Amino acid sequence: MAELKRIEVRGAREHNLKNVDVDIPRDELVVITGLSGSGKSSLAFDTIYAEGQRRYVESLSAYARQFLDMMEKPDVDHITGLSPAISIEQKTTSKNPRSTVGTVTEIYDYLRLLFARVGTPYSPATGLPIEAQQVQDMVDRIMELKEGTRGFLLAPIIRDRKGEYRKEMLELRKQGFQRVKVDGEFYELDTPPKLDKKFRHDIDVVVDRIVIREGLETRLADSLRTALDLADGIAILETAPKEGDPERITFSENFACPVSGFTIPEIEPRLFSFNAPFGACPDCDGLGVELFFDERLVVPDAALPVAEGALAPWRKGKSPYFLQTIEAIAKHYEFDAKLPWKDLPAHVQQVFLYGSGEEEIEFRYDEAGRVYQVQRVFEGVIPNMERRYRETDISWVRE
Amino acid sequence: MAVKIAGLHIGQVVEMSIRQAAEWCASVPATLSAQKNEIARAILKEIRERLGFLNNVGLEYLTLSRNAGTLSGGESQRIRLASQIGSGLTGVLYVLDEPSIGLHQRDNDRLLTTLKNLRDQGNTVIVVEHDEEAIREADYVLDIGPGAGVHGGKIISSGTPADIMADETSVTGDYLAGRREIAIPAERRKGNGKSVRVVNATGNNLQSVSVDFPLGKFVCITGVSGGGKSTLTVETLFKTASMKLNGARQTPAPCETIKGLEHLDKVIDIDQRPIGRTPRSNPATYTGAFTPIRDWFAGLPEAKARGYKPGRFSFNVKGGRCEACQGDGVIKIEMHFLPDVYVTCETCHGARYNRETLEIKFKGKSIADVLDMTVEDAQSFFKAVPAIRDKMDALVRVGLGYIKVGQQATTLSGGEAQRVKLSKELAKRSTGKTLYILDEPTTGLHFEDVRKLLDVLHELVEQGNSVVVIEHNLDVIKTADWIIDIGPEGGDGGGTVVAEGTPEDVAKTPESHTGRYLGPLLKPNRVAAE
Repeated sequence: MAELKRIEVRGAREHNLKNVDVDIPRDELVVITGLSGSGKSSLAFDTIYAEGQRRYVESLSAYARQFLDMMEKPDVDHITGLSPAISIEQKTTSKNPRSTVGTVTEIYDYLRLLFARVGTPYSPATGLPIEAQQVQDMVDRIMELKEGTRGFLLAPIIRDRKGEYRKEMLELRKQGFQRVKVDGEFYELDTPPKLDKKFRHDIDVVVDRIVIREGLETRLADSLRTALDLADGIAILETAPKEGDPERITFSENFACPVSGFTIPEIEPRLFSFNAPFGACPDCDGLGVELFFDERLVVPDAALPVAEGALAPWRKGKSPYFLQTIEAIAKHYEFDAKLPWKDLPAHVQQVFLYGSGEEEIEFRYDEAGRVYQVQRVFEGVIPNMERRYRETDISWVRE
Repeated sequence: MAVKIAGLHIGQVVEMSIRQAAEWCASVPATLSAQKNEIARAILKEIRERLGFLNNVGLEYLTLSRNAGTLSGGESQRIRLASQIGSGLTGVLYVLDEPSIGLHQRDNDRLLTTLKNLRDQGNTVIVVEHDEEAIREADYVLDIGPGAGVHGGKIISSGTPADIMADETSVTGDYLAGRREIAIPAERRKGNGKSVRVVNATGNNLQSVSVDFPLGKFVCITGVSGGGKSTLTVETLFKTASMKLNGARQTPAPCETIKGLEHLDKVIDIDQRPIGRTPRSNPATYTGAFTPIRDWFAGLPEAKARGYKPGRFSFNVKGGRCEACQGDGVIKIEMHFLPDVYVTCETCHGARYNRETLEIKFKGKSIADVLDMTVEDAQSFFKAVPAIRDKMDALVRVGLGYIKVGQQATTLSGGEAQRVKLSKELAKRSTGKTLYILDEPTTGLHFEDVRKLLDVLHELVEQGNSVVVIEHNLDVIKTADWIIDIGPEGGDGGGTVVAEGTPEDVAKTPESHTGRYLGPLLKPNRVAAE
């Protein structure tokens, strides 16, 4: 097949084109120019691109075609030398707030993968790195210690919990363990310590006592396995030097924080997706933006006094309830309700907008002769609207 | 949020600009173990490449977490372009619509390089473009014209850029060769001495910008993409002003205060949003020309004899419209797994009105014929009816003489919609105290169109109004009375006023990217220099 060197368009009449015959060289940068409305787009998009796209779509099955927009055949006699066409227009972005530069370019997908595979997790509670290790990694790590080092291999079964744990200790004795470390002290399991159930305790089971030397690997591996099974994948090696403080090395088989016990099941790319419930921030559903009420819209005109409608949400209702509320607040904070909003002290403005916090205010309401008094905190205009927004499901209230 | 690489978690990485993210990527391998490096290598390569492409198309200031909906049309187009280059396909035909929109002259060079790369990969790239530099750099140029609409549709000239320049019949060639150009005004307007001052604007990346917008002048806001031009002009100035003057409900970007708004009576933002989303909206309805047209028809003796009211001539209410298609002129037939088919209404044959209504004729034309006329034709057709003629005049003045009076709003381009809005403002009686804000009005315009548009904008200023234009087009910038250059770079590197003053002043400011490109244009005999 002879190589096609040009795209030949014959008899294009789309829109205002006047039976145009044109040859466009292939594999070159071609610019189409002219006055606006002169037919540039008619030639480039509505004729050349449309035909390229149409031919491609037509080659698909009828089933596939239903998902694609079928283009009308452009008004042209014939076009030869076409390649599959891709148009890059300007109106292609979606208005979905979940679509970002990162997702459109797929960079975000790669980032998620990168973080899932090579990222180091840190415990949110303690800020320490969380690592997943195999038993043999742990053995290797222990064997790096100086030969002759003495130590205890511990399995932490209780971490900072209240209780007596009598039954647990009995059970451990039955399994053949001899010692436990409770709140930093070692005890024989034959004579278990009495624990106060009102306090929080730490309990480690002493799985093995070791002295580092050649050939210890097999025994160490077995002991580690036992410790990991006992304490849900965590084991601790505590050295027992003759003097000085013992050194503690924590091992974890899971992605778990050895101190707080915080675990991440498995790090997967979807954990980093703000679109999956798995990884998204629960407050904003991963959008990163929350709906809120704008202070400036609540107080559109700062020159008005509160009593005369400075607070927009209260302006429409002529209910005496609002007026009496304002009077009560004015009395409590000792200011003049006739002052313009902008001249009010800042803390009073805050009370109106965001509530009185802990401070109780005495309200006196007069409803067509019935008078009643209440002592309560003032909710604030903005929290009040937010609450009503959340609680309602009638759409007009939301607007 | 607790998983980190090189000390940063994923949320921090996506908050970085593309430029910073690329640096971060380069620093990652050093912090990983050999085994993890092995895993990461392929992934990092992909990320680095993509970041590189985005950088090449001039988008290094965007952050990865930037919401796609908030991108400008040009930005999103360039993002798609960047991902296409990444795909590495060959033998493909790419068709692009004005990729240079919204790009500062400086970024334009990089974009052109990207397009050439695409070509060098073995693809055909067809670009619809008005940018002078793009035309000069092209391998092959097609000039279509000569006029717009029915006056266009012919190939005027084709060949290499040099061929086009040599062709006397091509308007584009004339501009390229400098036989025609947009004149620099001999004198910059002094303005009326008043100004609007924005104090300490801090929206987005603006760094406590305080700046004066002189009134009674043609003011141009310039600067590289992402520098903060729109934030200052539209988000801060326009939104605050429209809240104060027009009573609109807006959430403007924060600034301390705006002084001098008392010199204005209204502010109007003329943007490129469509004038209407329904096919029932059209230039005639938008500019308000349709009402006098209907009144005119209702006032004809024949209509009076039959007792037809103006409503009879509306295609939106029952009475005069064709009921078979409810005034649409076409009937939509849903074809399930084939695309919907629009067929011309059998009853009215696309005229949108019923037979009785169409019998009312003015100079032999029915109301349907009028809607099918181009604006130019309607202008002479209604010569004697000032209410209609004025509106048509305004449309012709903004260069829209070729559109049809009843053209559906959905088929108008963004630039056309913007000019329809502009013409509506032109037709109004001017108060001389209006502030017009336009965001890149030359989008989609050819040199010749730009000239016409500038005439119109300058006319608004002559009437005492103030025009603030956000623009990259140097031809527009050089005719401005006053320039405010924002930058110097995009994103974090921007947000300050680099230069302000007349074009001559700005050209003398070495820190201003705009000034550097502007300088050569201001020399009186540029053609001779080339």
